[in-house]
Amino acid sequence: MSHSNRPYWPILPSAIALAGIMVFIFASFGPPASSSGFVTTLKGFLLQVSPEYAQSKAHYQMMPGPGSWLMAFVLGMATGGFVAGRSFGQPVRDMPQAWEARYGPSQMKRYTTTFVGGFLILFGARLAGGCTLGLFLSGSTQLAVSGLYFGAVIFSVAMLTARIVYKNRSQPHD
Amino acid sequence: MTDVWIGLFSGIAFGFVIQRVGATNPQKMVLAHLMKERYIPQFMLLVVIFSAIGLFALEASGGGTTRVLPTSLVATGLGGVVFGIGWGLTGYCPGTCWAAVGEGRMDAIFALLGGLVGAAAFAHLHETLIPALYVPTSYGQLTLVDWFNDPGVALGFLIILFGGAILLIGRFWGEQA
Repeated sequence: MSHSNRPYWPILPSAIALAGIMVFIFASFGPPASSSGFVTTLKGFLLQVSPEYAQSKAHYQMMPGPGSWLMAFVLGMATGGFVAGRSFGQPVRDMPQAWEARYGPSQMKRYTTTFVGGFLILFGARLAGGCTLGLFLSGSTQLAVSGLYFGAVIFSVAMLTARIVYKNRSQPHD
Repeated sequence: MTDVWIGLFSGIAFGFVIQRVGATNPQKMVLAHLMKERYIPQFMLLVVIFSAIGLFALEASGGGTTRVLPTSLVATGLGGVVFGIGWGLTGYCPGTCWAAVGEGRMDAIFALLGGLVGAAAFAHLHETLIPALYVPTSYGQLTLVDWFNDPGVALGFLIILFGGAILLIGRFWGEQA
């Protein structure tokens, strides 16, 4: 395993740091999750707009609303991303180079695709019961078969999908 | 209220580290899926190895709250297929998408909005889909400990499995960072 991941942090110390955070979360709260944060956000929105609807649906009943650990966690993720991005010293791109090389610089095309992709990611995660974090990372940490099974499926399908969508010569990254 | 502060702190730390290692960069994720970038998948597997060891120690000392999600052959698998298509398409997953929005990536904002709509669509269909797809093929809260009957052996198996995967990725994936 090589430790060169420049301009990013090398993976070994990063993995130890993130595992430390994971264990801290297990100690102070429980299994970390992020796709549930989407449901929590929606629940907060729906409780304002249509409280009867939110209260009648099982998927919102089983999740905490705003003012919960989950809500704070996903907002914290965005904050952490903001602080890290601002102090990173490299401009962010609005689309990956691999996408631009294949489909051109149209923002419309990329944004429509990530909107549809985002829909699929969350629909799939809610059906399975969790996402990369809530099901694969948290689950496998707890030695859960569901996490290992989900991890094997998402990696295989994502690799297949990327092969179809991005079939192209090799691309440098930013 | 303490929960909120702990959650916020945990989220900030989490979001910071995944940005720094490059997981919020969809270009890296796409290259990882194309077998051209080994670091992100190796990183994910390393995180599991270390946090599984950490959780093992935490539980041995009487701490920690766990909640194992059930394994449903159809729902976990089909959910994974739908998820995998979206992940391969965008290079984002739910967690990295929040951090990437904070980072200022425009395509992540649309992924987040699409995600909210996707979660709302599933929540609307929960009462139909869970009894139809999740419940009938659910094996309950299955863990490796149920298979090996010994937590230490189960942990050892996980480490060997993921350690082997890290080596295989190092063998077959490229080194583009």
